[in-house]
Amino acid sequence: MFCIASFIVLSILGIFSATNRQLAKEALDCVFHRVTFRPCTTGFDKKMKAKLVGGLLTRSVPVAKFISKYFEVLSWIFVALFLLSIAFGVRGLVLYYTTGSCNGLNSTGLCVFDPKGENVATSATNCPTSATSAKDLTLANVNLSTFAVKNPNSPEKIVFIGCYECDYSRKAYPVMIKLVDKYAPEFVFAHFPVKGNTNHLAEVAYCVYQQSQDKYWQLNDIFFHADKTVMETEAFVNDTLTQLGVDVGEVNACLFDPNTARTVQNQVTELEKTGLFGTPTVFINGEALVGPKPYRVYAIALRGLFFWLTK
Amino acid sequence: MNIDHIRQDFPIFQQQHNGKPIIYFDSACQSLRPQVVIDAIDSYYLRSSACMGRSMHYLAAEVTRLCDESRKTVAKFLNASKKDEIIFTRNTTEGINLVAHSQQFKKGDVILISDKEHNSNLLPWQQLVQKQGVILKIIPSQVDNTFDLDAFEKLLSLNVKLVAIGSTSNLDGLTIPMAPIIKKAHAAGALVILDAAQTAPHQRIDVKTLNVDFLAFSGHKMLGPSGTGILYGKHSLLEKMDPFLVGGETVSSTTYETGVFLPPPEKFEAGLQDYAGIIGLGAAINYLQKIGFDAIQNQEHLLNAALTEEMLKISGITLIGPDDPRLRGGICSFYKKGTDSHQIALMLDQMANIEIRSGQHCVHSWFHAHDLAGSVRVSFYFYNTLGEVEAFLDNFHQIEKVL
Repeated sequence: MFCIASFIVLSILGIFSATNRQLAKEALDCVFHRVTFRPCTTGFDKKMKAKLVGGLLTRSVPVAKFISKYFEVLSWIFVALFLLSIAFGVRGLVLYYTTGSCNGLNSTGLCVFDPKGENVATSATNCPTSATSAKDLTLANVNLSTFAVKNPNSPEKIVFIGCYECDYSRKAYPVMIKLVDKYAPEFVFAHFPVKGNTNHLAEVAYCVYQQSQDKYWQLNDIFFHADKTVMETEAFVNDTLTQLGVDVGEVNACLFDPNTARTVQNQVTELEKTGLFGTPTVFINGEALVGPKPYRVYAIALRGLFFWLTK
Repeated sequence: MNIDHIRQDFPIFQQQHNGKPIIYFDSACQSLRPQVVIDAIDSYYLRSSACMGRSMHYLAAEVTRLCDESRKTVAKFLNASKKDEIIFTRNTTEGINLVAHSQQFKKGDVILISDKEHNSNLLPWQQLVQKQGVILKIIPSQVDNTFDLDAFEKLLSLNVKLVAIGSTSNLDGLTIPMAPIIKKAHAAGALVILDAAQTAPHQRIDVKTLNVDFLAFSGHKMLGPSGTGILYGKHSLLEKMDPFLVGGETVSSTTYETGVFLPPPEKFEAGLQDYAGIIGLGAAINYLQKIGFDAIQNQEHLLNAALTEEMLKISGITLIGPDDPRLRGGICSFYKKGTDSHQIALMLDQMANIEIRSGQHCVHSWFHAHDLAGSVRVSFYFYNTLGEVEAFLDNFHQIEKVL
């Protein structure tokens, strides 16, 4: 059994060293014999055992004795651990591909492919939440009727909860728009303020939506790409609205209407019912994805593993 | 003999591996080389790297002179009647093969060998059995592996053409009683070839006194370069023998139909020879003679006695050959039932750079006949020390704990 594990390890080491290459060849020969239920004739396992035990004998006789006595058993354990680690490695790779994290969807555990945890990072909401994990996030009993919606009545539904000044939302939003443009699901954008004073921007966006849905989505794109240091200023908002060709007077009237502030506040209250603890939080067909995910992860959540085969 | 002083002549002892010195106990396989031998080889390539005996120029004359000197040195070393009885070969194996292929054998001729021959003195004769129909008979050893003269005499009553026998065994270090064996063989009308690969490095050999017909040995076991060997043959016999390999330097002239072969040794030295090796071998023999075989044997016996005494105390250890170390020269070969000799060798190497031989030492036939997997063989030479033997024993005792 030792030769199987050795062959794999030595094959990798053999890329860099001729000595290990020769040992890998011996190990392979040994593996071939073992898988055909014949004893290893090269003496590879004995050779490696002797080298190992010989080296240990000069340091600790009891350890050398133990290794010598239980070499075969230890080899099996080593191989089992090796195979287990390979299985976990493959699992991590698959999970990373499908969820953006080696440890599963929304998991914040260390992932070698995303060591900084960028795929699960969020801007915290600073609001009390009932959710203890991403699994508890839900859209049940959340009234989304007042939020902006694209492609209504599509059977596939995406709810994007983000904040204009949250860097992670700003990263996820264009990815999401690309997905929406391609697959045309029902797409609800829900602004939840976590950074800066974006409540006012949410109200502006709400008012523009009442005037023109097309202009609203354009405005959303501008807000998610704008310089955060100026986007809260009145001048920026007015210039943006003017450039979009929006009736600024009508928007201002809407903003002065107390119902607008109340509605936007109600929207926040509704969103809090999801239990969200950070933005962006995206619900795709009811499943919550916390943090900015790569495109493939959103697409898989929407269309499955073979999303690239679907239209 | 000042061992410390002698060890300074061997550059390999200056080297360390993994921070530890090398303890070389595998001289029966190949000895280490002193600086004078290395210098002699270097000297050929630096000062006279040309062909021997063919060209007329100065360098050719110089290499011819040096190789001739070596041949004379070997002849003197063996007390041969003339230097033309000395044939340079690559090793003992080639020397034995030369005799096997050049001597005239006919179907039914009997060849005697002992039951513990090195493959080099077994396979050439087995080939003759298959190709020429000769009969190969094995002389059984006594229980303690010593030579059985009675059994030998009985076998001599057959139509024995040749006795081919190792004068000192690489398995157990035992030296056979050469003189009576040769005498009895001659009396029975048989020729004798001695495989002296393990004798020449350790004992004085006098081919004239022994009256041996052929004797082969290697340079690499006696401080000489690897790829060098000697076949001694009585000139009268060599003259009658056909050449084994033919080609350049074996003939005085050729036509499209035939060639005129030179007398020995030239007719047996086909093609360009290893001149550097031949010169190096001469230097090695000179060095050995300066040390002296009495001193060499005394040192080997001292070391073998120290090792044997301790090994006999270890339960489960079986020595191959007699317990008396004086009979085993510089070799102590042993095994422990159920223990893999290779593992012991690898552990000794790993622990303290102790280089020994394990396995069947090219004497597979003996191990198969005795149903043994192999043995550990410690083989000394005069450059080894008692301190090294102690190091071996210390480490072996450690290994015992995990066996």
